[in-house]
Amino acid sequence: MQLKIFYSRFILLALCMLLSVGAFAQAIIMSGKVTDDKGRALAGVTVRFGKTSREVTSTNSSGAFSVTVSAGTSIAFRLIGYEGVSMTARADRTVTVRMKELDNQMDEVVVRGYVKRPRETTTGASTKISGKEIQDIPAANVENLLQGKVAGLNIQVNTGAPGFRGSTQIRGLSTISVSGSGDQSFLTPTSPLYVIDGVPMDADRANELGLSQQGPGISPLSLIPPEDIESIEVLKDAQATSLYGSLAAYGVIIINTKRGNSEVPRVRYTGNFFLKTPPKLRETLGGNLERRLKLMQIYGNALSQLDLDQISQTPMLSDSLNAYYNNSTNWQDLFYATTYNQTHNVAIDGGNQKLNYKANLNYYNENGIIKNTGFDRYMANMRFEYYPNEKFRFTAQVNASLGSKSKGNGLGILQSGVATNGTFSTLLPGPSFYLASSGYNSALQTKNDNSSKSIKPFIEASYEFLSGLRATTTVSYESTSDNENTFTPAAANGQFAQVYAYYGRYNSLYNRNSINYSHTFNEKHTVFFNLFNEIRTLEKQANAALQARTPNDQFEGPLGFDGYFSKGGGLLRRGFGKERGLSFAIAGTYDYMKRYVVDLSYRRDGSSQNGFGNLYTKNPAVGFRWNAYHEEFLKEVDWINLLSLRTSWGVNVMPNSTLERVYGKYDITGSYNDKIGIGINYEQIPNPNLKPTTTTQYNLGLDLALFNNRFEMTYDTYYKKVDNILFEERLSSSLGFEKVNSNSAAIANYGHELSLMFRPWTEGRFTMSIGANGAYNKDVLLKLPEHYGGQFVRWENIDKYKQHIVFRVGTSTMSNYMLLNRGVYSTDADVPVDPATGRRYRMANGTEFQAGDPIIADLDGNYILDENDYARTGNSQPLITGGMQLNFNYNHETLGSFGLNIYASYTAKRTILNNALAERLQLMSDPYGDKAVVPLDDINMWMKPGDVAKYPYAYDFKRYANINPFRMDQDLWAEDGSYFKLNSVTLSYMFTKNAARRYGMERLRVFVSAENLNTFSKYSGPNPENVTSMGRDGSGGYPVPRQYNVGVNIDF
Amino acid sequence: MKISKRNSTIYRHACSWGLLISLCAGLNGCKKLYNLPDEKEFLSVNLTYDGKSFYPILGRTSLMGTVNTDHSTTPLHFEIINPRFGDGRPYTDLFQVKPVYQWITRYDGTEKNLEEIEAKRKLVNRPLFEVDSTGTFILWNSSTNELIPPRSKDSIDLVQNVRYFDLKVSNSGGSTVVKDFMILPWRVQDYEPYSDKNPYNGEVAPDPQDPKNPKKQSYIWPAYMTNIYGESSNQLLRTNDEFKDLVVYIRRFDGGNGHNLRFVFWDKDKKPINPENFNETNWAELVHGFNIKKTPTYVQYDVAYPIPLTNYPTKYTNGSSAKIDFGYSRIGFGGTLVTAGFGLNFKIFTKGDWEIVFHFQRENPRFDNE
Repeated sequence: MQLKIFYSRFILLALCMLLSVGAFAQAIIMSGKVTDDKGRALAGVTVRFGKTSREVTSTNSSGAFSVTVSAGTSIAFRLIGYEGVSMTARADRTVTVRMKELDNQMDEVVVRGYVKRPRETTTGASTKISGKEIQDIPAANVENLLQGKVAGLNIQVNTGAPGFRGSTQIRGLSTISVSGSGDQSFLTPTSPLYVIDGVPMDADRANELGLSQQGPGISPLSLIPPEDIESIEVLKDAQATSLYGSLAAYGVIIINTKRGNSEVPRVRYTGNFFLKTPPKLRETLGGNLERRLKLMQIYGNALSQLDLDQISQTPMLSDSLNAYYNNSTNWQDLFYATTYNQTHNVAIDGGNQKLNYKANLNYYNENGIIKNTGFDRYMANMRFEYYPNEKFRFTAQVNASLGSKSKGNGLGILQSGVATNGTFSTLLPGPSFYLASSGYNSALQTKNDNSSKSIKPFIEASYEFLSGLRATTTVSYESTSDNENTFTPAAANGQFAQVYAYYGRYNSLYNRNSINYSHTFNEKHTVFFNLFNEIRTLEKQANAALQARTPNDQFEGPLGFDGYFSKGGGLLRRGFGKERGLSFAIAGTYDYMKRYVVDLSYRRDGSSQNGFGNLYTKNPAVGFRWNAYHEEFLKEVDWINLLSLRTSWGVNVMPNSTLERVYGKYDITGSYNDKIGIGINYEQIPNPNLKPTTTTQYNLGLDLALFNNRFEMTYDTYYKKVDNILFEERLSSSLGFEKVNSNSAAIANYGHELSLMFRPWTEGRFTMSIGANGAYNKDVLLKLPEHYGGQFVRWENIDKYKQHIVFRVGTSTMSNYMLLNRGVYSTDADVPVDPATGRRYRMANGTEFQAGDPIIADLDGNYILDENDYARTGNSQPLITGGMQLNFNYNHETLGSFGLNIYASYTAKRTILNNALAERLQLMSDPYGDKAVVPLDDINMWMKPGDVAKYPYAYDFKRYANINPFRMDQDLWAEDGSYFKLNSVTLSYMFTKNAARRYGMERLRVFVSAENLNTFSKYSGPNPENVTSMGRDGSGGYPVPRQYNVGVNIDF
Repeated sequence: MKISKRNSTIYRHACSWGLLISLCAGLNGCKKLYNLPDEKEFLSVNLTYDGKSFYPILGRTSLMGTVNTDHSTTPLHFEIINPRFGDGRPYTDLFQVKPVYQWITRYDGTEKNLEEIEAKRKLVNRPLFEVDSTGTFILWNSSTNELIPPRSKDSIDLVQNVRYFDLKVSNSGGSTVVKDFMILPWRVQDYEPYSDKNPYNGEVAPDPQDPKNPKKQSYIWPAYMTNIYGESSNQLLRTNDEFKDLVVYIRRFDGGNGHNLRFVFWDKDKKPINPENFNETNWAELVHGFNIKKTPTYVQYDVAYPIPLTNYPTKYTNGSSAKIDFGYSRIGFGGTLVTAGFGLNFKIFTKGDWEIVFHFQRENPRFDNE
């Protein structure tokens, strides 16, 4: 309510201003309309007077303007993205100003160190995409929409869990730290720094621990509606990122939300109704088919009478009067569902050059395709900018958001409970009153309620003391509170209900003060300086409480719980944080006639978390640019519109230290002489000399535009060395301490990035553009701690998986360490015999291999399958990523305009482990058990002696215990994870202005879109993208749904 | 103007070519340009052996040494270097090349005749002692006391008679030398159990209960004996530390075809007992032998040596030894059927004509019904 008053006052104020402009009226009146070269009205074009270029007014939403000037004054029309137009004022009320749209990417304005700069004078590698490219697709997380749009930005939408993020990497690997195990092995996320409306934000905050996170796990990025985004810029090389300091070691993504841009207040509504459908689920044999297959399996492979007799002890196989005998429950169907979802966005904006405002309200509702999961977003973003004169500027913004999510009983990204239940035998009766599986109850009856509430006020004021010298100060505050409440009913938790509550708060205050100065001497030499400091304070604290064994399902606490099993209190690890940060940065740019540009920047970051040895980190960068197209000899070549060479070097230093790593952890260790003793925790040796991770990057780039910008190309090649990577070294047991955090690992990434854009038709009714981009990134492990001698194996400690990871110097960093599968033994005679002992190749337990068993390479040649047969194989990180786009547009004056946008992305050369298939085949291991069986007809499997097959014989259930033919640690599951994915297809139709006006609208546009339409891949699993960042395709993942959408844009 | 334009064209071409070349170089020469470490196999500096002193017995194939590769990239190449005695003299006798049997296909105990067994193995020439591709040391059964002097009979091993060697391990990641392995072989022990002989000198071993008594000796015992009653005392016969009612001799005999195995049973007067008395014995499956020949004094088979051929579990083996079971039944007191039996787990390593004699030393077994 207060807000409304607030805004109505501003509107009033704005109107007053307009009137006051009119009050100055003297001399002549000139008015008319500004259009683009196709005749469409342009709103927000600034109109400036004379030599001072004072902004007077701007065009309204229908492109109209009116100015009162003295005759003969020169008037300039300007709009970002269009070529400026100048004319002499005349007393004409029907002036039509046509402005030519600039396609040239060099006319873009980019942001460096929080300051807008023309792209042609920046030396770093970056890609900017406009908000238009991510419209029309409703998404919980805007990051997913960037997939395939920026060369070198590798986004894998590896979870369909609503409100969660996939994995994002800019220019390859920056860490060798893997958390979790088995299917849940995750690379520690190294997401880029997000700078949203000038305020840096840590996107990894919600999932620092990969999967095993506590709290709601709502990514802050999920709280930004795509509809509100004006532009996104991805900074890739160190020259571009070094001004953002240590947080920017993994790249920077700058998101700017929309500004008020209409003199007449307007209301823009976007609504989407979308359908999410689960992908194809695992095929299962139901009821009678299952029973018959199990019996066939037993009769065909039983080794003893005992095996046959066991049939009669398994009533659901043998007893036709048994209640289970005739069931056919589709377990998977109980958990997955097609869902209907919606999102609504209302944007209100208005204002002129002196004052503008905008408010964006967003509601997003998504129900997960796994029942009992979902995500809702409520967001309000309000901003107003006040420029009373040329010198003073003032901006204020408030962003309030609420994300609410249900994770079911899973962790969100993983729904292993659902996966386990989905494999239940169809012969088991479905959930009912008398018999409900606890897994089913746990997944669907658990009440899980998560919310993340955040409010972010932001104020910026700047003043231009002298021409070109401007001082700016920015203050922003963020307060986030995260809650999770879970109630698990008794039936879902071993007959005891329990209540879990999590509360976390996060506060950060951010202040930036900057002075920048730009000046051009003799119209040739331009200098620009930007000097700023940043102050950050951050506090976070999380608490959790678990009340176990509460009385019943109706009474959800707080009384009556069992104190012995209940626990609670503050969370130390990752839950607690306190940091003060102070940074200084200086950047200078010099250019000579915009031909030769030199960029220098330097930044120091201090943090209270750093050890005293490395209190401040230093981030220097240098860049050069040669704009060849400004050279005289190229000016005459009219088919070259742009030719620039860029090169840069820069360093980003990111501290590894935490208080714990630097000073050690201390525990209360009992009392001595009646005094409490505090002693060190022996888990790790404190390392005050822990060095910060240093990323050094070289970049060489080429920008090219030819034939009236019909053809555009950007090429970058880079070498990025990540040194002093944090490495946890296990210590010898005789040392007392368990581990030490050292710094002795290093990775190099090098690669090439290429973006191409081709626009065959840019004028007329029919316009079209085709774009493609690709990035090749190769990573090489440069070193490991000296004493390892060049190899370190990260042993998988879950027996079921044993999919180890090997780090070997000189090779791609993330390789699997597993057994090499060479096929299947066709006949018994194919099994090699040890000439010395006369025994066949065998397991360590003595079981010899036979026909139908997997051929596993006996690398050490001892005729026994053991640990020495493991070998380095595959690379879990993709070598090539990229995307494609195709945009058609057809404009007709009376029919309206049609648009077709297709976006695709691809990933190539990546090893993924199809653990889901392994688990599917392992379902055959126990025909007497309560697991489902799957049809194996489509699998190239050994069936009888003489068969040459890929997969071992699955039906012989007696061999699972001894030789485990489908063991996870063999490269039989390693497959090429290359894919080409049709990300989205959008068909849109915009009504003509007249048609829209008939309904009282300014603009009316309808569109249908589909997302995640199809993935083309040779991969045998369901989705080569829906795998962890370590390339494990576990069945416990959350499938990525397909989405169909109908939407409408209405402007009033 | 025209000239300048042409110049600019040339310049432009040069530019674009230069760019193209630099791009190509960038694509191909990254490894060199960025000075990246080479991709190579891993050879751990911590590669070691679980034990480096070996005491094998000559005349039988022994696999020795467990390499701990510390996950060095396999396959590794192993080479024995610097063979020397304790005083530094080199030796070569360990590496004499002799024919040994190597298996081609698996022996599984179902072979129907000797030829079938022989078809599964072949003679190849190997050094008496070698290291294989897995880092396991093999002393082949072609080794004899004559070819390799074993440790001294008086059990005093002088360091100048002890053999040492080093091992060079390599793969494409480099090489390392594991130093100072020691090998000190025992003399040939033709059979097992060897409890009746002194392993140092191969002569009759003294009775462990009374080692100074030259009239007593140590014996091979049967693995078990059940329900064997003495003919005269009607007491259970037994063999233990105190009593030696049934003892076993494993010894060569003359007059065989070179690969015979014979079973002989003696009474207390060293007179043969007719094997037919052991009426519950499954003679056909006693050992994996062929051409069974039964006489009143012995039962004889044609067999393939060594016995057992491999450690593959067959119906003729118990663990890694061959097993033989003899039995007989009779009517005991009260008309009950008493099944008596005894057996032996044994190995014979040296090819030849061997007989296994079961000697009821003190009292004959009772075969008659009550």
